[in-house]
Amino acid sequence: MFNHFASKAIVPVALSITGFVIVCVLILYSSIKVDFLRDAVRQETSLARTVVSAIRYNMMTEDRESLDHIINSIGAQKGIEHLRIFNKEGVVMFSSEPGELKRVVDKTTAGCIECHSGSKPTVRLGSMQLARRFVNARNHNVLAITSPIYNDAHCSAGDCHFHPPHQKVLGTLDIGLSTESLDRRLLSLRWKMVFFCIMVLILSVGGVSALLKRNLLTPINQLIEYAKKVSANNLDKDFPKGISEIETLGQMYFDLAREKKCAETKLINIKKADNMSGRKGG
Amino acid sequence: MFLRRKQKDTQPLARGESVLSPDVRRQKIQDRIHYLKQQIYYSKWCMTLFFLISFGAAVNFRFLPPISEQAKHLLGEAPPPTLISVGLIVYAFSALILILGRMNTGSVRFRGWSHIGYLSAFYLFYYYTGLLRGNFWSVFIAGLTILGLEGYRVWSACSESIKKEKEILAILDK
Repeated sequence: MFNHFASKAIVPVALSITGFVIVCVLILYSSIKVDFLRDAVRQETSLARTVVSAIRYNMMTEDRESLDHIINSIGAQKGIEHLRIFNKEGVVMFSSEPGELKRVVDKTTAGCIECHSGSKPTVRLGSMQLARRFVNARNHNVLAITSPIYNDAHCSAGDCHFHPPHQKVLGTLDIGLSTESLDRRLLSLRWKMVFFCIMVLILSVGGVSALLKRNLLTPINQLIEYAKKVSANNLDKDFPKGISEIETLGQMYFDLAREKKCAETKLINIKKADNMSGRKGG
Repeated sequence: MFLRRKQKDTQPLARGESVLSPDVRRQKIQDRIHYLKQQIYYSKWCMTLFFLISFGAAVNFRFLPPISEQAKHLLGEAPPPTLISVGLIVYAFSALILILGRMNTGSVRFRGWSHIGYLSAFYLFYYYTGLLRGNFWSVFIAGLTILGLEGYRVWSACSESIKKEKEILAILDK
């Protein structure tokens, strides 16, 4: 199978084009995925900051009822998987899931370990380092952000309650959004790229095959048929035309066959003449 | 050494060899057949080695000890992932062009070993940046294409040469 002219010409072309296109598409997909994820993290960070700004006044006035109400309302929005605030000790103070209240967060889990890996917790991290992806108990893919609630002059000098000025982080807001729409977009992109690869493969293999068949394989087969006819002493000039190399070969076959036929005729005539002279002499 | 290698690379036997005795010539043809078969074996071994390295990369080299802080400090910052990806595209493109060029000249020598080094380096770069999981398939497909094409080139050229050499051997044996 691999000794045929067509496969020898098509295999390298198809392999190199398809392989290279797949590599480029995979790299492109990976780069787009990172961009999508970065965008989602940016949006989520902005949402977390908005929530922190919205609840700041309630925190300063220690209006727990309003805080609970805000957290529950935001947490009930479509696409929000969880929303919780925990204090510096890691105790959940407010949450959209009532069952989580007063529970202690494990500082070694993803989303916490990034700051708590050293002996002293890191105060500031980039947004990508604060993000984590996991599958929650409801079997939903979640992209979560932990946004620290920093101390400021109003908090440390408030009338209602007091935070010492040296305490940099008062607590953390943890918000998790479903990645369903992101996953759907990535899946759609993946299928588009698979179709693109298949189309490139079909076009490259199909194009090369069609060109080879039209310009080489068919004329060569016609030339083989012509050579067979010529070897069977059927002298005509019906060799394939259109491609100069094949035409030259056909013409050469024809010339060779004609010369061979002439030589054979001459030989027969000489033999006949020899026979005649032998009879006369006898 | 270079001349001998060059002679082995060119397909038919040198003209001067026609004056050699049939036994010597037979031996030379058998040596050449052995050399050609060896090139095909090399391509298969190279592909196997690549699969083994890729298997290690697929499991994120978890059998290796984690890179220590000291080593990380010594090695410095990881290159940006975009730069590694651009490097992979440029490498794959130039490797394929070179192989297609060699296919044109009809060279029978297998030259795939260096690609094992390059591809492993890409795996290691992605591993160091912590993005090997997301980029494993791009390096794997690049390696499969490059080594597959090189293997096909060597197999195709060597099979043709072996056939020719065997025909000469059959004539000598008559």
